[in-house]
Amino acid sequence: MPNGTSSSAAAVWAILRKECRSEWRTRYGLNAALLFAVTSLTAVSFAAGRIGNRTDILSGLFWIVLLFATLASMSHAFVREVEGRTMLMLRLVAAPTEIATGKLLFNLLFLAVVEVVLVPLFMILMAAPPPHWGPFLALLALGTVSLAASSTLVGAVIAQTRGRGALFAGISLPLLLPVLAAAVGGTREMWVGHPVASSLRLLAAYAVALLAASLLLYDHLWED
Amino acid sequence: MSIAAGSALRLSGDNLSHRYGVRIALEPLTFAMDAPGVVAVTGPNGSGKSTLLRILAGLLRPTQGTTQFARDGVMVAPKQRRAHAGLATPELSFYEEFTAAENLAFAAETRGLPSVHAAVREALDAVGLASRADDRVGDFSSGMKQRLRLAFAVLHRPALLLLDEPGAHLDDAGRAVVARLVASHAANGLVLIATNDPQEMTLAERHIELRGRGLGNPS
Repeated sequence: MPNGTSSSAAAVWAILRKECRSEWRTRYGLNAALLFAVTSLTAVSFAAGRIGNRTDILSGLFWIVLLFATLASMSHAFVREVEGRTMLMLRLVAAPTEIATGKLLFNLLFLAVVEVVLVPLFMILMAAPPPHWGPFLALLALGTVSLAASSTLVGAVIAQTRGRGALFAGISLPLLLPVLAAAVGGTREMWVGHPVASSLRLLAAYAVALLAASLLLYDHLWED
Repeated sequence: MSIAAGSALRLSGDNLSHRYGVRIALEPLTFAMDAPGVVAVTGPNGSGKSTLLRILAGLLRPTQGTTQFARDGVMVAPKQRRAHAGLATPELSFYEEFTAAENLAFAAETRGLPSVHAAVREALDAVGLASRADDRVGDFSSGMKQRLRLAFAVLHRPALLLLDEPGAHLDDAGRAVVARLVASHAANGLVLIATNDPQEMTLAERHIELRGRGLGNPS
């Protein structure tokens, strides 16, 4: 029986593949995320017209749409296991950190897929000016890691609690606000041509802190 | 299916007990057992049979006392125990959108088994589910799901096999499967069966009787 790092990597890889296959079969999150993205952008475009010159509003709108399109599905990664009563099976075959890392990687992949659709859709429907691709992709990447790490952590914490709904809002808000503030601020600066280094540093530091805290916490989350 | 011969295994519990909040789930219990063999854990509903198996599987930390699990004289920590223990319990559910083979393949890959397809085929054969390997678990009857739980428990050839009410939902052929699995694993490993079924009790040569409060007095 393999041990150590290689067996952990195999477990994480197996869990990531399982998540992808399950999402492909059920379309639980992807359809909802894409539906939200398309309908919200279409509604805003009907209501406000083409607001390409208001890059301050565009910056906020982009991250709000990305956040709400993906948040419910990402934080439900663990809740689905509890409600489907499959958490026991997972715990019997993998360590908590392996389970959480597999789900974190899936959430990253999920966000990336949504972004591939959302970014061009946003540019077209909002008539947004072309972004400075280097800073924009850096902001998108770091914002994605922070969003995925925070929603995975919150999902893991609330999964086995009774008041999941209330806890979700209560825990998510303080964790997500710094991500949103830095991402929206950085995107706004990017569009007006200002440097975004401070926003990138903040997002990177936050992502590292969240990932480190997650790795320390996951092993103790499901101890009865 | 059988585990590797010649591995000495010792399982013991010292003053082991567990509470869920104020409710006592398992009264203090001390025991020691060596492989090979089959031990039946009996007792009234609510006496802690399932709780004991969850503690031994490393899923639950006892409120008081300790368990020790040693293979070839080397202690195995509770968090590492899942590699050596297989658990089949009514609480175990599978991904209903996956087939039986896909569920077991996922478990085998996650456990890092070297030959996933062979292990899955062997486990499904052992419980008589090979012909339904490619059917989705969501379409399974309760008896077929129970057989799949048994296949999941023996998939990695564990030295310690923990069976919680293994005959639940099973027909006579299914119960014969349980008897075969228990006999083959008991040859070199240790099997614990939590049951009050007289037929399943006959599979064991030793018994642990839990005398908890059961449902009568939950305080």
